[in-house]
Amino acid sequence: MKKLVVIGIALIALVGFTSALQAQSARDYISIVGSSTVYPFATVVAEQFGKTSGFKTPTIESTGSGGGLKLFCAGVGVEHPDITNASRRIKKSEFDTCQQNGVKDIIEVKIGYDGIVMANSKKSAPMKLTRKDIFMALAKDVPDPSGAEKLVPNPYKTWKDVNPDLPDKKIVVLGPPPTSGTRDAFVELAMEGGAKKFDYVKNLDKKMFKATAHTIREDGAYVEAGENDNLIVQKLEKDPDALGIFGFSFLDQNADKIQGSFVDGVAPTFDAIAAGDYPVSRPLYFYVKGAHVGSIPGIDAYLKEFTAEKAWGEDGYLSDKGLIPMPDEERKKFASDARSLNPLMLQ
Amino acid sequence: MEASQTAVNGAASATASQLLVDRSHRETIGQQFVENPRMTCRNVDVYYGDKRAINNVTLDIGSNEVIAMIGPSGCGKSTFLRCLNRMNDYIDICRVEGEIRLDGQNIYSGEVDVVPLRAMIGMVFQKPNPFPKSIYDNIAYGPKIHGLVATKSETDEVVETSLKKAGLWEEVKDRLDQPGTGLSGGQQQRLCIARTIAVNPEVILMDEPCSALDPIATSVIEDLIDELREQYTIAIVTHSMQQASRVSQRTAYFHLGDLIEVGTTDQIFTRPGHQLTEDYITGRFG
Amino acid sequence: MSDSTINAPASLAAMPSKRTIDVVNAGLAKRYRAEKRFRIYGVTAIILSLCFLTLLFVDIISKGYTAFWQTKVRIDVHLDPEVLQGENLQTADYPGLVKKSIRNLFPDVQGRKDRRLLNGIVSSGAAFQIRDLVTANPDRIGSTVQLWVPADDDVDMLMKGHMPRDVPEDERRLNDKQLAWIDQLQREGRLQKTFNRILFTVGDSREPELAGIMGAVMGSVYTLLITLVLSFPIGVATAVYLEEFAPKNPWTDLVEVNINNLAAVPSIVFGLLGLAVFLNFFGLPRSAPLVGGLVLTLMTLPTIIIASRAALKAVPPSVREAALGIGASKTQMVTHHVLPLALPGMLTGTIIGMAQALGETAPLLMIGMVAFIVDIPGGFTDPSTVLPVQIYLWADSPERAFVEKTSAAIMVLLAFLMTMNALAVFLRKRFERRW
Repeated sequence: MKKLVVIGIALIALVGFTSALQAQSARDYISIVGSSTVYPFATVVAEQFGKTSGFKTPTIESTGSGGGLKLFCAGVGVEHPDITNASRRIKKSEFDTCQQNGVKDIIEVKIGYDGIVMANSKKSAPMKLTRKDIFMALAKDVPDPSGAEKLVPNPYKTWKDVNPDLPDKKIVVLGPPPTSGTRDAFVELAMEGGAKKFDYVKNLDKKMFKATAHTIREDGAYVEAGENDNLIVQKLEKDPDALGIFGFSFLDQNADKIQGSFVDGVAPTFDAIAAGDYPVSRPLYFYVKGAHVGSIPGIDAYLKEFTAEKAWGEDGYLSDKGLIPMPDEERKKFASDARSLNPLMLQ
Repeated sequence: MEASQTAVNGAASATASQLLVDRSHRETIGQQFVENPRMTCRNVDVYYGDKRAINNVTLDIGSNEVIAMIGPSGCGKSTFLRCLNRMNDYIDICRVEGEIRLDGQNIYSGEVDVVPLRAMIGMVFQKPNPFPKSIYDNIAYGPKIHGLVATKSETDEVVETSLKKAGLWEEVKDRLDQPGTGLSGGQQQRLCIARTIAVNPEVILMDEPCSALDPIATSVIEDLIDELREQYTIAIVTHSMQQASRVSQRTAYFHLGDLIEVGTTDQIFTRPGHQLTEDYITGRFG
Repeated sequence: MSDSTINAPASLAAMPSKRTIDVVNAGLAKRYRAEKRFRIYGVTAIILSLCFLTLLFVDIISKGYTAFWQTKVRIDVHLDPEVLQGENLQTADYPGLVKKSIRNLFPDVQGRKDRRLLNGIVSSGAAFQIRDLVTANPDRIGSTVQLWVPADDDVDMLMKGHMPRDVPEDERRLNDKQLAWIDQLQREGRLQKTFNRILFTVGDSREPELAGIMGAVMGSVYTLLITLVLSFPIGVATAVYLEEFAPKNPWTDLVEVNINNLAAVPSIVFGLLGLAVFLNFFGLPRSAPLVGGLVLTLMTLPTIIIASRAALKAVPPSVREAALGIGASKTQMVTHHVLPLALPGMLTGTIIGMAQALGETAPLLMIGMVAFIVDIPGGFTDPSTVLPVQIYLWADSPERAFVEKTSAAIMVLLAFLMTMNALAVFLRKRFERRW
């Protein structure tokens, strides 16, 4: 009896390790990592791809854009991912790391746009904000209200303090933590945009400007609500005065509960983001490891699936999930680049 | 020797106490040695860490005799008993000096293995401690691990004879598959004795085997000890002087780690040679 | 009182001025009050914790029980030989067949946009259902089959009452036209709620109506199997050695202190360790239950070792003496007597450790098991995820219908836990010597 147990354990361990080695020598599914913003779109494509192509369904990890690129650039070989998603473009430094580690051919595919919305509960009136308002309400240090050319710790308590046209409500904004790509994009697009409205802030040296525009106040007006956007939606329902920051797809799915705030006079609608009118929107990308095409089965088929009109087109299934498609011209360009596996060049 | 001979007038006599060896005398008096010793202990010291628990004990245990070890609590009699089959080995801080021989072989020498040693010197403990197994398995366990039995029928035989020797057979023969822990206290202790003799040892050590039992169970065990003497050498530690006088032929009196006096049971209880022995058996302390 | 005075011995009467019985009686009421208070605290604590537990269960079950049903639509699909000709039945235009069937139900719907809306009533899974049917029975090509196919998640939400009808049109996921179509389907008896088999038979999906937890369940099973097979023998062996055989010296003290420390290390650290050792050094595959099991083994080991040592310590010394006194060797004493008696305690510790491992996500994040994985894993090295990760991923999905799926997945996790605990109780009962 005891001997049997011991032999059983040994067998399981043996089988486990040998099959591990086998699996390692030939991975037959695509491994995708990267941005949590692109995740909802990439997963839909992967699922569709898995069900229709006959290849195995790719695995997709949501590691964040930076984390994904780090894994992606770690090297060539089955233990490294084939594709990484990013809610921003690859940085020069990341590209260099890739090159150093032998990841030479990187195919960049832009897949569309994502709008970052500030939304509140339907129980209160929609907010009509400008990027300047957003900057003044959320930055840690803001230009002195008296007009002197210096920065003071953010004194504003209510939206009315920020802008007399806004309602007399306490500033409470629920948003993602600093590790989130959504937060990066938000500070870059909304806060920077607002900071540039002040001439002397704009004329600060680059580092100072970034520090000013990117630092969010920490006195309780901005509440870090974690990466779970559903949680923010729930909290907004409870507190009609609060605003939440998240991706457009969550607004799209919860349109009966929350409404997007106007930014610079434009409401965050599908059409407005697609037309480029809504200011807080960003492009989404994924990057493919050229060296893996051919050795890992299905990568080219996956590229084809993603860049097909039925996926990322105006009426494609990705737009149902809240992805804002690129204009026709751009789509065509990226589709042909992707299919011909044109490697990315960064100088 | 001289002292014991001078103490002729019996223990209880107040006037005789002048004739006894003084309380401060700590050398062993009496008949430490026997003609045909089974075990010989020479200058045994036992230490717990830095503390000396047994002090220079020299004593013989003769064949087919029951030797009782008595003394007040903490006198070292149990510690000494446990040295005889090296049960103290597993107490990390315990150290034994001097020599203890079984049939001439020093049991503390490097060549002696404790496993066969304990097969030869069995032990019965203060609290009945049957294994949480069936009555049958309790008895069969020892013979099985030592390889004394090969077949089921041999095992059955050993179980039956052991239980018979322990006087338990009639009471349990119909429920051998029942848990040993389900028996009464006295039965459990007899089961433990049966378990010990199933291995067919030469010496049986008993550490206050009746202290947890009522008088009736005690007398059954005492009768059993008397019967077992024919085949085995028995060393018994007991708190009860009556028990010592009933079951043993020789008695050793321990006091604070010293072996004070050894003699025939009859002599110790009627004509003690040492003041301390006399104090103890007359109930002045202990 | 008076007769007790009489009975009091004369010698005692002289000593204290107050009699013990009077002092005791005077303080008695206070003592009983304290006792009662203490008991009330205890009962309150139990009631409070039961309330929280009930609240949790009620919340999860009330949110999640609807997930066990699924709205299905009956469509009549003509398996058109024109569409289904050619060698490769896999790649035929099945979505087209579905669309055509729906359009046949509503012949008067015109316009591209409206037709798109209409197609949206049926899940995209319908096409795969037809594909599987045709692949299995190629002889039915040419006939018309009646099929119950899953409805889109929005329709499902509406049918289950999770989507309000009485709000303005632009605030609903379904507009007035779609509502009218759904109502018409319902009048025709083409909508029905059935038991949600999909939930229990398939892996993850981004379409809530097609998402199942089987993948996660199998992932959990494989992962825990590895964890159990490794951590139980290693943990028990470690505990036995440390407790029974190891000499007492600074080294074993150091080992002991470190084991206790490891039990308190945040689980994410084990994930990082797993990433560094198993993935980067040994080159094991990412996202595999094998690696997940190894990492969770590291995490569970201290728990098992500590519990097993406590169980060994609890074995009465009399049993050890009994075995040694008969001449059993140390190993025989341990394996024949001590271990069987300690086993129930060890099993309890193991189950606690396994339950902990079952609910863990943080260490799995680092080794790639927090991932979108559709295919049900078939072995220890297939990419897979585990139940708590599935819960996390669904909770983080934008689609409304995932809310009930999340609760359903939590229920399955709880059921999993209860099964494990029941198994533990059963095993303990079997091993426990009840004498």
